[in-house]
Amino acid sequence: MHREAELTLVGKNNGQILEKRLPGDLAMWFFILAELTVFAILFIGFAVAEQLNPEMFIEGKAKLHQISGLINTLTLITSSFFVALALNAMHKGEGQKSAKLLVVAKLVASVYIAVKVWEYMSLFEQNIDIETNTFFTLYFMITFFHLMHVLLGMVILIFIAVKASKNEYNASNISGYESGASYWHMVDMLWIILFPLIYVI
Amino acid sequence: MHPINSNKKNTFSWLWLMVLTVISTFIGLAIDNKALFIFSVLFIVFLKGQQIIDIFMELSQAPQFWRRLLLGYVTLLPLIIGFIYIL
Repeated sequence: MHREAELTLVGKNNGQILEKRLPGDLAMWFFILAELTVFAILFIGFAVAEQLNPEMFIEGKAKLHQISGLINTLTLITSSFFVALALNAMHKGEGQKSAKLLVVAKLVASVYIAVKVWEYMSLFEQNIDIETNTFFTLYFMITFFHLMHVLLGMVILIFIAVKASKNEYNASNISGYESGASYWHMVDMLWIILFPLIYVI
Repeated sequence: MHPINSNKKNTFSWLWLMVLTVISTFIGLAIDNKALFIFSVLFIVFLKGQQIIDIFMELSQAPQFWRRLLLGYVTLLPLIIGFIYIL
């Protein structure tokens, strides 16, 4: 896509020209689209399998801890919120503040990991694992795949936090930061579809 | 210069997302009709997705192509899932 097509002037702010542009690298957005496609296939597959085995899925969902799913949703949304605040701080050139906000985002996200591990352990204690039935095969596959994305997102956040703390980003060189933040928001967005699909409906 | 969302806007969006999450978790207690329940929960997914895309991802200030692409995702995917459940 031509760079010109990505930029559109939207107005002025204190004499500075404001431009409409895609935050982050174009390559990251193609990667995000690929990830969204993979998860869409998994989600649709889960819904189809549920329609084919309704009783098994009702029984399986009853064994899940809905409140832990709720806690995880709230933690990922809160973590995303702190990443959005961190990006704002970076846009203002406040590297140290931005890095601290990213640390808060990661601490909140670590609650998600702890809850997820606790959830897996409590299922294992009930002798439930990935081979139990189709519901739990899909449950472990989808949630573990998502967990891997959370872990990768946290590695990316650590990387950009270190660079932000050294003030290596500025107004003309912030694309890497925006790409990392966008990836994290994608992980959050996937969970807000996953949560009702597996825990609520 | 790229236009950025204010912290106030981000905070409002975060609170709205928290409220929507709690509503979607317990909405089943208030709705008996299966189809209505499913589409209510999936409509909340769309509302939450729109907030993340427009506010957190800042795509409301990006070229419309990318915004529409992602909004299409949080519209079409819940619709497909909803129809699979009610058919």
